[in-house]
Amino acid sequence: MSGYVVLFDGSLDGLLCAVYAYYYDKILPLSIQTEDEYQPMLGAENYFVASDPEKAKRVWEGIRKKISPGAAYNVYTAFLSGEVEKHMAIFKYIVLGFKRGASVDNRLQEDCVLRVHKLARMTGYEAHMLSGFCRFAETKQGAYYCAISPKHRVLQLLAEHFRDRFMNHAWVIHDKKRGEAAVYDGNDYVIVDAPKDAAVEYSDDETRARDMWAAFFSTIAIKERVNKNAQRRHAALYFRANMLEFL
Amino acid sequence: MDSLEKLKILTDAAKYDVACTSSGVDRKGTRAGLGSASACGICHTFSADGRCVSLLKILMTNVCVFDCQYCANRRSNDVPRAAFTPREIAELTIRFYKRNYIEGLFLSSAVIKSPDYTMEMLLATLRLVRGEYRFNGYIHVKAIPGADPALVQAAGAEADRMSVNIELPSEESLGTFAPEKTKSSILTPMKLIKNRIIQTKDEITRFRSAPKFVPAGQSTQMIVGATPESDSRIVRLAEGLYSQYKLKRVFYSAFIPVAGANPLLPAVSPPLLREHRLYQADWLLRFYGFTSNELFNRENENLNLNMDPKCHWALNHIERFPVEINRADYLLLLRVPGIGQRSAMKILSARRVGKLDFAHLKKMGVVLKRAKYFITCGGKMMERTPMIPEILEARLSENKIDERYAQIGLFDGENAALAAPDDRRKDAPLLGGLT
Repeated sequence: MSGYVVLFDGSLDGLLCAVYAYYYDKILPLSIQTEDEYQPMLGAENYFVASDPEKAKRVWEGIRKKISPGAAYNVYTAFLSGEVEKHMAIFKYIVLGFKRGASVDNRLQEDCVLRVHKLARMTGYEAHMLSGFCRFAETKQGAYYCAISPKHRVLQLLAEHFRDRFMNHAWVIHDKKRGEAAVYDGNDYVIVDAPKDAAVEYSDDETRARDMWAAFFSTIAIKERVNKNAQRRHAALYFRANMLEFL
Repeated sequence: MDSLEKLKILTDAAKYDVACTSSGVDRKGTRAGLGSASACGICHTFSADGRCVSLLKILMTNVCVFDCQYCANRRSNDVPRAAFTPREIAELTIRFYKRNYIEGLFLSSAVIKSPDYTMEMLLATLRLVRGEYRFNGYIHVKAIPGADPALVQAAGAEADRMSVNIELPSEESLGTFAPEKTKSSILTPMKLIKNRIIQTKDEITRFRSAPKFVPAGQSTQMIVGATPESDSRIVRLAEGLYSQYKLKRVFYSAFIPVAGANPLLPAVSPPLLREHRLYQADWLLRFYGFTSNELFNRENENLNLNMDPKCHWALNHIERFPVEINRADYLLLLRVPGIGQRSAMKILSARRVGKLDFAHLKKMGVVLKRAKYFITCGGKMMERTPMIPEILEARLSENKIDERYAQIGLFDGENAALAAPDDRRKDAPLLGGLT
């Protein structure tokens, strides 16, 4: 089996279809790339994998049953990572998983396992931090609007968190970096494409709430123990662009 | 008074309370209410002192009838006073929560009129927030020492966590600096909360719908460095609180000098490093299987400021090292300086499928800075540092370079330059002939 540069459309389904192609069409990838990021490789043929929901579902169910639900979650969150060069590691992780079963997550000696764990951890960490750091603002229409610009594609993870927390009122989480938004209407959320910039009109109470928050934030710090390094270690600067108290 | 002004005064008065955790309870959102709780806790921002801000931490009022010398709200101190109404607090909480500024409410209070009256006010606020405003997020409330047990119990039914602050770690110190508080007035509500928690846990196993009581447990706080108690006394007290009173957390707060205070209190800056070491010791008690007897002996009544308590323990028990990474059990791995629960778990699972060497450990993210002196992989050490406590101590000290190896000054004189050792390379043996 000679190797190919495997190209896919950039969706999770596409990546899972590359796994399908490896087993059923004997397509051994030397590198897995999305169409947009394609970089030719010397001496290797290209192979385009078309996304097929049926095939992807088979692979996904296989991961859940033959490896473990935890491994499926790792694959999903690692895939959401904004890091480049993640696809090959995820592919290798899945293939190793089909060979070894649930114990794949114990194999920390393997680079691909470490890499997938790291990608998943980074994405999960950012989603966790944002679940605290993201700030909603009350709009004129009464819904709550929140803008984020995360490194990883955490919109859906965040939406799951807030669907449970703010069950009774409408809200929007807007990923300005990727131009998509999670819109919740009081029942369920959908993820839609959105422009990268949005003009939002705030309610009358909004300024008041912000002033109160700013006052609380600056007063709660103990002056005798100021430690800006610790503050920066926990609340990284790149989060602060969307956090009111740091503007 | 303007409510913004009130908020400033009552936040300022509440800021010395350390606890701002929102962990320990998982609660799903509901259709009827607002909010949920997450067991891991969520930090919503970090203040300029580097502390996590998770809860809206405010006092109901800072008008106090007590005169505790270490406290900024004592009645003899000249500070602006204010009080919130229950409704103001409820509205502020909801306003902040809906904007995701906070994870919940941390409500405390100075003692206004009497402990009972104060506790009634706190209870009224909780009932309003939980009842009329249908708030389902996290609530931490203080139990006021000396308040009626029925009130404490009723407040506990609404809250996720309760705490009674010990403040000073011995009865004598309390007598000197907090004349209105006694050991029993602090320990009585603590015991009450403990018993009620145990009782509720038992009820829940029988009736699924039994009402919950303080599901995230109770905590307390001690001020460090205001009074002469040694670290050993503080840690032993904490150990007792964990085992006998089933506390979830004990917080330590480095004493910050308050203006115009009792001249018996120290006027120096807060002992932050000491506070840090106490937290490290606290973690060893709770997660690493240590007991306070292992951390202290007759000569060492205080923790070593130069290195963390686990390092210090390891140097005093050098006969138990090195530890073989591929064979040692979990509790033994936890005893290695630099290896925590996470690394120990990773080592356990990775060695199930293959042998580990130092390169693997590094890739897995096990921090070897301190651990490398105390472990072997497949019988080999990483470096050839002799297992001699004095030598390891010099390598592991964080804050002070052993004076034998101090930087030579230009004008120290010829003798000093001659006496300084010429070889400070990392791997070179520090004392000739010992390797």
